Amino acid sequence: MSLLKPFSKLPGLNTANILLVESEEQFQQSLADGLVEETAVTVNVRLAKSLPLPKENEESRPRIDLVVFIINLTSELSFQSAEASLKYLDPGYFLGKVCFMVTNARNASVPTERLDAVRKLAAALHCPLLFAEDQTPDGVTNATKRLLSILKVSAGLVPMATALYLSSLTSCTVPPDIDQPSFD
Amino acid sequence: MDESKKRLVQRLMRKIPTKMLKTTLEKWGRLTGEQQRAMDSIQSKWALTENLLAICEENELAVKHLTELEMIYMIDNPDQGMWYAFQLTDPGDDAQSVDLTQFKEQFKSHLRELVREVSIKIKKHTDEAVWIRIAWGDASSHPDHLKPTYVVHYLQTPYVFVTRLTSKQKPMLSQAMVLSTRYQYFKDANLSGRNLTAIRDLLMRKYQQVFPTKYPSPLTERKQTVTNPHVEREQAKPAANRLQMACEAFGGGTLPQLQSAVYKLETKFRDHTNTLMTEREEPFRCVVKFSSTNLLESLKNCASSGIASTPVTPLLSSIPLKGKNYFVITDNGPGPSSQMRQTQN
Repeated sequence: MSLLKPFSKLPGLNTANILLVESEEQFQQSLADGLVEETAVTVNVRLAKSLPLPKENEESRPRIDLVVFIINLTSELSFQSAEASLKYLDPGYFLGKVCFMVTNARNASVPTERLDAVRKLAAALHCPLLFAEDQTPDGVTNATKRLLSILKVSAGLVPMATALYLSSLTSCTVPPDIDQPSFD
Repeated sequence: MDESKKRLVQRLMRKIPTKMLKTTLEKWGRLTGEQQRAMDSIQSKWALTENLLAICEENELAVKHLTELEMIYMIDNPDQGMWYAFQLTDPGDDAQSVDLTQFKEQFKSHLRELVREVSIKIKKHTDEAVWIRIAWGDASSHPDHLKPTYVVHYLQTPYVFVTRLTSKQKPMLSQAMVLSTRYQYFKDANLSGRNLTAIRDLLMRKYQQVFPTKYPSPLTERKQTVTNPHVEREQAKPAANRLQMACEAFGGGTLPQLQSAVYKLETKFRDHTNTLMTEREEPFRCVVKFSSTNLLESLKNCASSGIASTPVTPLLSSIPLKGKNYFVITDNGPGPSSQMRQTQN
């Protein structure tokens, strides 16, 4: 099985590499455009629809510091695709180098079970869960900023902070009564 | 002015939107300059209708002049109402040499033989299409101009497009067409839609075709706006392959606008977990309908984004390939032309 490994390659100087995985291939494009505008650090963005990644790019691919799974809550296919891609990541990534980003959480047509399922998944893997708004430029800028702060830590560019340390502070938690019916 | 003429004018004015009225009336050419200017200055539809009724009285226009106006409007705006495609099959030896005047004379005389009271108007459009307007009557009544049938035929092709046609009128139209074009049969082509131009383009393949090539040139993905060297798509090749296969199945560029596709299933129920249904001998009858504002575009998008698996299943790709949007699917092998083999799940 071709697992993506976190430490099998050497890092670049003042460089951070991020992989955005999204089944719809929409939001990742605008995020990428925002991420590369960062001047303090050279950010390389790789876009994918799902894992595993093609073998042909193995040589040219740099060391991926952060893997972000973008899930569109209005689509069940999006969630299932992200879940299926998880098994192609080396377990070493789950020590702070994986993050979940969710869009359309406020949409009325989203069943609550799906958001709960994403929450449980993120909590079980000890990963942070970010909510993003992808329709407005402001929403995209905010999402970019938050990803950048996590990315810099994962790439080791922030002194005195490691990915594992940050994730223990930011990882998703589920309230104990998540399976109780809510009163809406 | 008699009631039927009045109703015809009112019906026409309801159909033609105010902004198209000026050009249509100008093309019609039966108004004097002063009358035309008077029409242009009025704003409300009701006032326009009254004015037109007055002008018809003044100029002593007959029903046949009014039907001219309707035809002019229809020819310029063919993408309304429902159009049904028909095909002429088994050409005789001289089918290719039928010319316009021959066709016109023969069609009129044959149809008049079959239907006593019928009003026929034939016009040739600039793009080689022959437009026929038929108002049907019978032994006891005059032709009904409020429910005309429009027929569009491209000479030297076997394609005919028809608007509303009742089951009583169909055999007569069929006989007249077959005799005047020297083919043997006039068959339903199982294609219908709101846009005449779309179903015509689909049948005559007037849209951009993409053919499979052994050495494809680099396909520029339309979605790809990435020029930044720091951003790279990992799965660009599979995406390009999907796009290529979607284009091969449905075509490139702008696709003809179809509104729906209907699949009538007469197959046995297949589900290993449900023995109650699979035990039944009779086929499980079911109708699946896909509808959209632009069906072919959405199906192409499904294939290129990976929602529909590629290579595109023949069930979907036969819509543009065979030029049909009504299919009957049975379990047996390929039967008559409207049936298809069911794919294995």
